[in-house]
Amino acid sequence: MILFFLTSGLFLGWSLGANDASHIFGSAVGSKMVTFRKAAIIASVFFILGAVIQGSGTSHTLGKLGAVNAIGGSFTLALAAAITIYMMTKFALPISTTQAIVGAIIGWNYFTGNHTDSSTLEKIVISWIAGPIIGAVFAILLYILVKRFKKSTKIHLIRFESYIKTGLIVVGAFGAYSLGANNIANVMGVFVPAFHLKDLNLWIFALNSSQQLFLLGGLAVASGIITYSWKVMETIGNNILELSSEAALVVVLAQSLVLFIFSSTGLSNLIIKTGLPPIPMVPVSSSQVIVGCILGIGLYKGARNINFRILGEIGLAWIISPVASGLLTFFLLFFMKNIFGINVGSKIIESAGASDQASNLAMYGQSDVSGIIKYLLLGLLIFGTIGIVFYALLENKKSREMQRSEEKFWKNMK
Amino acid sequence: MPVFTRTTKNLIIKIDEFFDDIDLGLLVFREGIKAYLDKDTDAFNRHLQKVDNLENNADRLQREIENEMITHSILPQHRSEVSTLIDELDEIIDALKSSLNEINIELPEIPSSLNKNLISLTETSINAAEELIPAARAYFKAPYTVREKLLKVYYFESETDKLSLSIKKIIFQETNEIDLAHKAHLRYIIHHIENISDLAQKAADLLSGMAIKIVM
Repeated sequence: MILFFLTSGLFLGWSLGANDASHIFGSAVGSKMVTFRKAAIIASVFFILGAVIQGSGTSHTLGKLGAVNAIGGSFTLALAAAITIYMMTKFALPISTTQAIVGAIIGWNYFTGNHTDSSTLEKIVISWIAGPIIGAVFAILLYILVKRFKKSTKIHLIRFESYIKTGLIVVGAFGAYSLGANNIANVMGVFVPAFHLKDLNLWIFALNSSQQLFLLGGLAVASGIITYSWKVMETIGNNILELSSEAALVVVLAQSLVLFIFSSTGLSNLIIKTGLPPIPMVPVSSSQVIVGCILGIGLYKGARNINFRILGEIGLAWIISPVASGLLTFFLLFFMKNIFGINVGSKIIESAGASDQASNLAMYGQSDVSGIIKYLLLGLLIFGTIGIVFYALLENKKSREMQRSEEKFWKNMK
Repeated sequence: MPVFTRTTKNLIIKIDEFFDDIDLGLLVFREGIKAYLDKDTDAFNRHLQKVDNLENNADRLQREIENEMITHSILPQHRSEVSTLIDELDEIIDALKSSLNEINIELPEIPSSLNKNLISLTETSINAAEELIPAARAYFKAPYTVREKLLKVYYFESETDKLSLSIKKIIFQETNEIDLAHKAHLRYIIHHIENISDLAQKAADLLSGMAIKIVM
């Protein structure tokens, strides 16, 4: 039953993979510098790493916005957000998972009569505005830097492109890691307060309850990236602005930096030490950041090549997604509670809330989800190793055949 | 990762070698025409053989460059344009080879009074193509300088046109000692020499557009 409740979260993760995660390599794949296959593998692996290692910071912020205290509620929220994202993705609009989930949480708050913490909401909305602006500024600065480097060094175009290509892979990995750290809260954040799993000992390290949820979410995101992100990658890469290879690198780097800034507790602590206010740990919308970055470069180039119609469509999706998700959540919660009789959560009373939640946690503490995750990981490891070996052999065979055909051609020519 | 492989280095070497072949081919063609006009058959044949070898090597390099760019996904955004540029340059060396071959087969009788004019025409036409090579090299290293380098190509091409017209005028209006068939044959040879600068201009047009695109 617990696994059934998790399915909506996994569906949401899949949607995030198909939509938001594609932004990391969208410009690289769109500009044809990195193949989709390579991009999908790197994005999947590093997203999972980022989610498991550094994903807890932003999930606390979402928890403050609305601590969903029943697993039925978490299920419905995630389902509503996922349906919203799926519908938007169908129209190839790079909408934001963050906005969908925030809309859903607010919908849950309204339904259960809980108060929406306005200061947290304010912090999140400000980050939505700040994210693309910071992204645009970073993109312009980095773009100027790259252009100046290229001009001053008189580096050979082919060599420069090979550096860019390598850079895209490295920066893309960093971006996927940052996205995992920043956005996993959107997928699994609503399940964290309602779930309590046993610690999973993996011999060299152990995963706590939220990390296990993040791992599951990460795997769902990876499946979304591999199966459905191609279409959105094409939209990001080509439709807003035709990107050169160096612009593609700059866009991914600027976006990764923004996501990293909003999810790194270490960096925030460092800033506090210098006497500055802390950086809010907020799940930033990667869609908005990437559009900000691309727009920044477009503005620097003189705004000639920007496709403003696409930008308008994306802007519209930004408004539609939280509203649609909130409304859908409200109606779904109504049906879940009144027709199926599922507990979707209740009003949190400060003193009683803690004990209620404790009983909920105890209820799921005995679950065997941890065991399933363990076998899942083992299976992935085995299939992954077989896959890598098979791929290496196939590539080797292909290159040998190519070489042989080339030799044959020149032999016949003589 | 691309930065750790030798593919990039090899491809850069091949492209440079390809440009060297075209450059050398132009030089040898010029000497070949001079040798023919001087009636030095041995030197002409030697130059013809040299151009033939250079053309074969350029063909091989062209194929390898295009193959490597596709198989290693190099310059995905500029690949088709770079390939077209290499095709255009290859057409120049093809034209050099076929022109020398046709002269070798047809053995046109060139009145000695036209020698100076023909050498001048060859020099100017070859200059147009020679000025194209540094511009093509600059596309890869300093695209900002491509357009200024191309100015010389356009200048020499227009000079070639003027020279060709004046030589044709001399042949058809002032040289009365040769018959019409002979005149037509000479015009045909002039077309061949003139064609080199036209091909250079065609490649220059392409290169100019490519440079704008990469600088933007």
